[in-house]
Amino acid sequence: MSLKSIVRELKEMRDGIGSMSRRAGHGRAGSRHSWPGLWAEQQQPQRQGQGQEGPQQQQGRWANLPPELLLDVIQRVEDSEATWPARRQVVACAAVCRSWREVTKEVVKTLQECGRITFPISLKQPGPREHPVQCFVRRDRASSTYLLYLGLSPSLHGENDKLLLAARKVRRAARTSFVISLVPDDFSHSSSTYVGKLKPNFLGTKFTIFDSQPPPETVVLPNNRPRKRQSKQVSPRLPLGNYNVATVTYELTVLRNRGPRRMQCTMHSIPALCIQEGGKAPTPTGTIHSLDEQVFTLPTNKGNEPATEFSSTSLSADLSGLACTNEAPLILKNKAPRWHEQLQCWCLNFRGRVTVASVKNFQLVASVDPSLNIPAAEQEKVILQFGKIGKDIFTMDYRYPLSAFQAFAICLTSFDTKPACE
Amino acid sequence: MASAGESGDGADGKGVTTITIISSDNEAFEVLEAAASMSLTIRHLIEDGCADGGIPLPNVTAGILAKVLEYCSKHVAAVAASSEAGSSSNAADAAAAPEKEEDLASFDKAFIDVEQDTLYDLLMAANYLEVKGLLDLACQKVADMIKGKTPDAIRQTFKIKNDFSPEQEEKIREENQWAFE
Repeated sequence: MSLKSIVRELKEMRDGIGSMSRRAGHGRAGSRHSWPGLWAEQQQPQRQGQGQEGPQQQQGRWANLPPELLLDVIQRVEDSEATWPARRQVVACAAVCRSWREVTKEVVKTLQECGRITFPISLKQPGPREHPVQCFVRRDRASSTYLLYLGLSPSLHGENDKLLLAARKVRRAARTSFVISLVPDDFSHSSSTYVGKLKPNFLGTKFTIFDSQPPPETVVLPNNRPRKRQSKQVSPRLPLGNYNVATVTYELTVLRNRGPRRMQCTMHSIPALCIQEGGKAPTPTGTIHSLDEQVFTLPTNKGNEPATEFSSTSLSADLSGLACTNEAPLILKNKAPRWHEQLQCWCLNFRGRVTVASVKNFQLVASVDPSLNIPAAEQEKVILQFGKIGKDIFTMDYRYPLSAFQAFAICLTSFDTKPACE
Repeated sequence: MASAGESGDGADGKGVTTITIISSDNEAFEVLEAAASMSLTIRHLIEDGCADGGIPLPNVTAGILAKVLEYCSKHVAAVAASSEAGSSSNAADAAAAPEKEEDLASFDKAFIDVEQDTLYDLLMAANYLEVKGLLDLACQKVADMIKGKTPDAIRQTFKIKNDFSPEQEEKIREENQWAFE
């Protein structure tokens, strides 16, 4: 753009007849047809932020700051508000208007890249490789609720603890399942805060983890294997679906109840290869409720039918199924504790993060095929660690390639112990 | 064509040259070349020999230009003073250096404490004129104004209209609910 045209556009913006605001007006006209009721609500002068301005108010100049300046400003906010609760400031910037949201999303890196949890989608992104994300879980027996917080342990007054996810144990007939949500007071499947769930089998020895969104780069095998393209519109109000992303199994060893259990997690949506150096685990980057950036393919039937490509909007809202990678899935196993003769108990080195003995405590490491040539140091990395530090308080440390959601769901299985397992 | 370093308005006795800058509303400002050169844009124009007869800036009004030049003059003087203090063997001069830094910091703080419209204009002018220090100062001020505010409060402060579609609006509201939980 030449200097002259920049100057002209700046002048026009100042006079309030900028081309950008014209473009914005165009967009608004479109949406007016689809949601007339909601649009009217937006037009009300009482709406906060509008003051006495009329409904046809064009976007002010602060919304149309040159992108490089907005980037500079928001980068400063991102740099200074690194930890929670101050980090909410970054999320606030993304909620101001479209241009600010675009720039904020550009500025904020994935959890693996910057080590910081920012938007809810961070909860579905793999943690950093170098060091674990340290969290704690608080159990409320009265309401059968489990709350996951970011932080080493509960803070003195609990005010600065950042709540990440909440889960509730729900009893239906003979089975219990866990519903996982973004908020501690709404566990409805049809709510937009619904994130996933956990279902045990009858014996309580095998658990299936369901994600409300299929992770990117996965293949969805729908339960009903449709042959035809489904053409229903995805409505934002219905649940996105339930995608089987992992299975957790518990087994007793030969020691039966006198020894620790054997745990295995099959992460259908994470390829085993991703723990190789330079490997990359699926990292969603949209919003936690959208299917916008996902493209699914059905696998080819070993035969003649070609893979059917679906765009996200053509899938039925309540599609369910297995979301898996094309590669061999990552398998996690628990590190076998050692019997400590003097202490007369089973021990694992939790490096101070777990202080109370409990059958619920565990450490998970990757169990890889030797052919993948993963170095020993990598294989010994504890990917997920969970354990008790006090009455109803547990710590949970997770790292790449697991996400907070997957880690939390796996830890919840530890709570649902059954006689067959104990 | 006059060579760089000379201006129609001449040099004073010390051999320091001045430059004339003309605002969009035709007001002329005479400043030290060193001060004007804090703007990379102006510096390039001087180097290209375009300073003869004054440098016109068609998109910066007199009010804002005055402020920008005030900033530049103050900072250029501070740089000169500190380099003098650095080369001087006078202990008093050396001791005064951190104080002068503090002076400059408080000058900056007071300087950028302006009305929003002025802040916006300063930001745009600093960007166009490429005055790095002023641009950093203005961007930081905006960032500081954002801190501690909810999205609604930010919109009110900067008179920004919420232009999300109703569908986006809902997702964003939930995102915020989670963040402010």
